[in-house]
Amino acid sequence: MLMTPGQDDLAAALAACAKGDRRALRSIFDREAGRLVAIAERIVRRRELAEEVVQESFIRIWTHAHQYQPDRGSARGWIYAIVRNRALNLLRDSRREFSVEEVDALRESEQSDEIMAAWHKLDRNSRLYHCLAALDETKRRGILMAYISGYSHGEIAGRLRVPLGTAKSWIRRGLSALRECMA
Amino acid sequence: MATLADVYVLGLMDPGEAAAIEANMKGDPELRAAVAASRERFLPLDAAAEPVPVREDLWSRIVAALPSQAGPAAGAPEPPANENRRNGWRTTAIAAIAATVILAFGLSYSLLRTSEPLVVAVLVNDRGEVQAVIEDFGNAQATVRLLVDLDVPEGKTIQVWTLPSPQMGPVSLGLIDDARSVRLDGPALPIPRDSQLYELTLEQAGGSPTGRPTGLILAKGLARGTR
Repeated sequence: MLMTPGQDDLAAALAACAKGDRRALRSIFDREAGRLVAIAERIVRRRELAEEVVQESFIRIWTHAHQYQPDRGSARGWIYAIVRNRALNLLRDSRREFSVEEVDALRESEQSDEIMAAWHKLDRNSRLYHCLAALDETKRRGILMAYISGYSHGEIAGRLRVPLGTAKSWIRRGLSALRECMA
Repeated sequence: MATLADVYVLGLMDPGEAAAIEANMKGDPELRAAVAASRERFLPLDAAAEPVPVREDLWSRIVAALPSQAGPAAGAPEPPANENRRNGWRTTAIAAIAATVILAFGLSYSLLRTSEPLVVAVLVNDRGEVQAVIEDFGNAQATVRLLVDLDVPEGKTIQVWTLPSPQMGPVSLGLIDDARSVRLDGPALPIPRDSQLYELTLEQAGGSPTGRPTGLILAKGLARGTR
């Protein structure tokens, strides 16, 4: 499932980008753009916004490629983080502050399907799947809502119907259990 | 530190906290490693995403916007790390300028009166257009001035809300039935503070049945103290 071309290829492509090689950027685009649009769309909800996020991200990948170092994690993680941050910033700019109480049934049902779909697509043999599965249902959902759909603490609390403080502490405990499990 | 990194990677920090983490990462290899480790942990969730078809013009848009690579020959200056989305921010900036002008007007207007509001909030719609000004006097009284004609369908009413604190949740200040400017006698609430949220929603006649906003958000804005 995760048999994408090697990490080394992406790291080499970033190094070539830093030297001004546009073909290297194109190779990253060919390999990752479709997935990156999908990831951004899960957060910003609309295809055209997701494409805008990916467009800006590729420009940032180009201008910041020289900053990539292996101590910043895998090249893929670095590239994906740029897209995720862009998408989250866009979402925050447009987010309505009354999220806890806002009743937005469509968004809720669509997104909860998407969160479940992302969860089910996760490789069953991966450590992440195994360790997320070991968490309580609510902790797992909270973590997935944040990561997949970019929900805030307040939105997660609203969806799980618990006070904000409870949601925050569930997520923190979930994260810590997850780290221990994956260590 | 690992929790901090996870919370950051999950996108759960507010923009200020996230910016602080990003700034600290530059000089803190340990934090950098914690963030990298956290990204790797969650990466399989993104790596498993089903790619969508990408339009070819996305690539041409990227190429059209690519600066030349800033080498020793120094091409275009590198955009700052916190470079913002240009188009989105242009709209926001225009709205912010408009809001500031109106806010200044509201503040100077309020200075001419004997009874002063403690805070003034300029409410904008989701396109950033100014819709209303709320002045909260903090003694369970607030005034709302609508600056545009809001469309209120039959059987609906506009309800005014504020969020004194996340713990209290949104509290109704009252209803605006028809008038463009109304004085509301709301419940006794904590003294309104800077950055407190105010909001107008469309609710059924008589107000929200649940006591919480349930309808379409018409406009919202954050308060500024008048001194």
